[in-house]
Amino acid sequence: MVRFITRRLGQLVIVFAGLVVVAFLMSVILPGDPGRAAAGRNATVAQVAEARHRLGLDRPLLMQFGHYAARILHGDLGTSVFTHQSVLSDIRQVLPSSVELVVAGMIINLVIAVPLGVLAAYRRGRPADVVARLFVLVGAAMPAFWLGLMLQLIFADQLKILPLSGQLSFGVDVRRITGATTLDALLEGNFPAFGDALKHLILPAIALSASFIAVVARTVRSSMITALDSDYIVLARATGAKEWRVVVRHGLRNALVPASTILGMQLGWMLGATVLVESTFNRTGLGAYMVTGVLQNDLYAVIGSILTIGVVFLLANFAVDLIQLWLNPRLRPRRRTSAVPLVTSPAPAGGVS
Amino acid sequence: MTVPPLSAAERLVGTGLGGTVPAPDQADPRRPNGSHARSRRRTRGPAAEQLAVAAAIVIVLVAVVGPWLAPHDPYTVDLTQQLRSPSTGHWFGTDVNGRDILSRVLAGARATLSATAIVLAVATIVGTLIGTVAALSRTIIDEILMRICDIGLALPSIVLALGLAAALGPSLRSAVIAMAATWWPGYARLVRAVVRETRDAEFVDSARMLGVGRMRLVLRHVLPNSLSILYVQVSLDVAAVMLTISGLSFIGVGAQVPSAEWGAMISAAAGNVGNGWWAVLFPGLAIAFTAITFNLVGDWLRVRTDPTLRERA
Repeated sequence: MVRFITRRLGQLVIVFAGLVVVAFLMSVILPGDPGRAAAGRNATVAQVAEARHRLGLDRPLLMQFGHYAARILHGDLGTSVFTHQSVLSDIRQVLPSSVELVVAGMIINLVIAVPLGVLAAYRRGRPADVVARLFVLVGAAMPAFWLGLMLQLIFADQLKILPLSGQLSFGVDVRRITGATTLDALLEGNFPAFGDALKHLILPAIALSASFIAVVARTVRSSMITALDSDYIVLARATGAKEWRVVVRHGLRNALVPASTILGMQLGWMLGATVLVESTFNRTGLGAYMVTGVLQNDLYAVIGSILTIGVVFLLANFAVDLIQLWLNPRLRPRRRTSAVPLVTSPAPAGGVS
Repeated sequence: MTVPPLSAAERLVGTGLGGTVPAPDQADPRRPNGSHARSRRRTRGPAAEQLAVAAAIVIVLVAVVGPWLAPHDPYTVDLTQQLRSPSTGHWFGTDVNGRDILSRVLAGARATLSATAIVLAVATIVGTLIGTVAALSRTIIDEILMRICDIGLALPSIVLALGLAAALGPSLRSAVIAMAATWWPGYARLVRAVVRETRDAEFVDSARMLGVGRMRLVLRHVLPNSLSILYVQVSLDVAAVMLTISGLSFIGVGAQVPSAEWGAMISAAAGNVGNGWWAVLFPGLAIAFTAITFNLVGDWLRVRTDPTLRERA
C-alpha cells in the first residue's frame, strides 16, 4: 500500500515536471517579447537588450529552463502585463470564486446524475430509462457556453426569476474573507447576501455541469446494471432485505467506485470548463482570468492559469486514488503492474483499460 | 510500403482463434416477462439507430453542398434587414448585420465538421503510431511515452488548446492544430492498451512462429485486430471535438468573426441575445443536433463491436 502511494506520488511529480516543461515551451513560442514588455513601450534597442539580459533571455534555452523551473518552484509565476500584479496573487484573488462555482456545479452534478443513473438502471428498458437516456443524450450535446446564454435568456431576460450575471446584486456587499462570495456571506452572518449570491450561482453552475451530469449518469447507469445483475444482489434479495436497501446499500455502493474515478477527474475538467462559462456570466474566476489573458496576449497570466488547473487536476486524481484505496479493499494490490496509468481515460473505453 | 496479402498458412492460423462468442440470450431472472421488454427494445433500438445514421449522412451532405443549399448568401451584409425575427423569408431570422442565419448555419457545417475531421484524423494517426510503439517496445520508451501522455491528459483539452491556439494566433487553423496536439494522448493510451492485449494473443504467436517478420506482424496481424475499438472511440469523440472547437471559436481564438463557423456565430450574437435570441439559438441547435447524432452513431458502433454490451445497452 505504501508502495502504491509512493509510486503514484512519483508519477505525480513526473507529470508536474512535464507540466512545467510544457509551460516553459509555451512561454518560448507564445508571441510577445517579454524583454520588450519589461523594458517598456518606448525603450531603445539598448534598453530592450539590457532588459533581456536582466531576465536571462539571452542565455541558452536549457539554462533559461532551469531558471524558469526554479522560479516556478518558488511560486513566482511572473507578472501580468494586464493587471501589473504578480500572476500568483492574481490567481489567489480569482481562484476562490471559481472553486465556489465548481463546487456548486459538482453538487448539482451529484444530486441529478446519481439518482438518474440508478433510476435508469433499475427501470432498464422502461419509460423512465428512456427519459433518463434522452436527458443524458441532450445534456452531453449542448455546448456549455450556448446553454449559459440560453439560460440567461429564459430565466433572467424573459422570466426575470434569476439574476442575469455577476456575483451579487447592485447594492449588496460582502466583505472579502475567502473570496468565495457565498462562503463570505455566511461567515459574515449576512443571510440575505448569502441568498443573493446563491441565486447568482445557479445559472452558471447549471451551464457548467450539464455535460458532466451526462457522463456521470451514464457511468452510474452502466455500473449499476452490472451491480444489479450480480450474485450478491440475488443473495441480498434472498435474505429478504428491503428493496431500497438492496439497491442502495448493495448495488449503489459498488456501482459508485467507477463513478468516483470519473467524478475526481471531472473536478479538474470543470475548473477548465469555467473558461466557457465565467465570462458569459460576468463572474470573476480563473476561467475569466485566463480568457482575458488570452485575448490580451498576457503570456504569464495564461501559463499561470494552465499550471494552476493542471495542479488541481493532478491533486484531485491523487485524492481519488487514495479514496478508492480506502473504499475498495480489492484495490489494495499485492500485484505490481507496470506502468499503471496515472490518469485514466475519461471516456468509457469499452472495457479496455 | 506495400504489404502482401495473407498467405494461406497465416489465414488458417487466424481462423477460429481469439474469436468472441456472443453471450447466450439469458432471461432476466427477476422479471418473468423480461423477454417482452427486450423484444420491445429490439424493435425500438434499430429504428433510432437508423435515424441517427441517416441524420449523420444528411449532416455530412450539408457540409459538402451546404453553401449551394443556402437560400441567401451567408456573407452579404444587408443593413436594412438587421435582426429580423424568424419569418417565411428568413426561416431562422437575420443577424445584427442582416445576414440570413439559415444560410450561415448551412454554410457553417462545412467549417465546423471539416475542422473536427482534421483534428480526429491527425490525432488518430499520431495516437496509433505512438501507442503502438509504446506497446511493442516494452522498455523505458514505453514508460517515457506514457508519461508524456499523462502530461497531455493532465489538462482539460479546452485549456491546453486555448493556450496553444492563443500562442499560434487566433484562427480556425490554430484551433485545429491546438486541438490535434491535445487530443492524441487519449488515443495513444487506448491503442497501447489494446495492442498490448493483441500482441500476446495466440494467433500473433502462431504467426511469429511461422516466421512472419516484425513489421509485417504489426501491420498485418496486430494492428488490424486492435483498431476496431479506435473507430468506435473516434466516432464517440466527434461531438466532444466539435464542442471544444466551437468553444474555442466562442472564446475568440478559433474561427474569426465574419466566418460562418457555428461557435463564432454564437460569439458574435452573444452580446445581443436579448434582442435577437434566434441568432444564438439556431447555431447552438445545429451544434447540439450534430453532437447528438454522432453520439448516437458512436454508441451504436460501440454496442455492435462489443457483444458484451449488447445485452445492457
